[in-house]
Amino acid sequence: MRGDNDEQLDALFRAYREACPTPEPGANFMPQLWHKIESSQTLGFTLRRFASAFVTAAVAASLALGVYMAMPRTAVPNPSYYSSYVEALAAANTIETPDIVAPVRLDLGEN
Amino acid sequence: MLVDFELIKRAQAGDSAAFNDIVLAYRKRILGTITRLIARPEDVEDVAQEVFLRLYFSLDQLRTPEVFEPWLYRLTVNAAYDYLRKQRRRQEYRMSDLSEQQMLMADALAGGRVERDERDQKKIRESVDALLGVVSEADRILLMLKELEGLSLKELEKIYDIKENALKVRLFRARQRVLKAFGATAKGKEPARAG
Repeated sequence: MRGDNDEQLDALFRAYREACPTPEPGANFMPQLWHKIESSQTLGFTLRRFASAFVTAAVAASLALGVYMAMPRTAVPNPSYYSSYVEALAAANTIETPDIVAPVRLDLGEN
Repeated sequence: MLVDFELIKRAQAGDSAAFNDIVLAYRKRILGTITRLIARPEDVEDVAQEVFLRLYFSLDQLRTPEVFEPWLYRLTVNAAYDYLRKQRRRQEYRMSDLSEQQMLMADALAGGRVERDERDQKKIRESVDALLGVVSEADRILLMLKELEGLSLKELEKIYDIKENALKVRLFRARQRVLKAFGATAKGKEPARAG
């Protein structure tokens, strides 16, 4: 059901439509548009190059890290890595360990 | 359709001359639509260029040339919507002037003596702009496409990709809110803005 306000609102919209005539495109419309397109393309190209360089650097870093991690360790391992006390003790008492800690020898023949 | 499908396909394939022809064919229609949607003549060309810029970079996503026009309208609606959202953040409307402007305009319309010089046109634009401030930007655009552009529900359905019934409900609610605000301003009250 349409009331007076509906009619007035329709009249207002009609007045608005007439108050907004379609403008003629300016002389610079097309040159400006192509300029914007080219600028966006340049920006996109720069971003793609940057992204590509970043990806390449990331891959190289990953490879280098992988190689480093795969290299065999030559240094003396940290005692904390041993799984048991016996292993840690064996590693601590190498061949250079003084005789004082060697097993006791019993010479029974002289008695 | 203002252009043939072959031209659209050539533009999709990267033919700049074909794209240029499409812009030349549609720019006036798009300028007219944007003029009515945003009501600020000084910014119309910028928004229209934004539409064609988006068209250029998304043309390859268009599946069939048959839906080119609704699709171009959708780009136009989105660009206008983005513009209005930015504007709303920037601008504070002079709501206290609304009732006076509205009353002046209603008098002028009733008396049939509207002089459409630039000042009056600006007043009308500002009045409707402020009046439509009671609905969201999305509803404002929807309402304007229906009321001012004269698009049918079928056409709106293609643009928005929403079922006709849902569009009807949304349009009805938006119009009711605008009507309520219109009635309130006629009585000298200020409408509450959306958002």
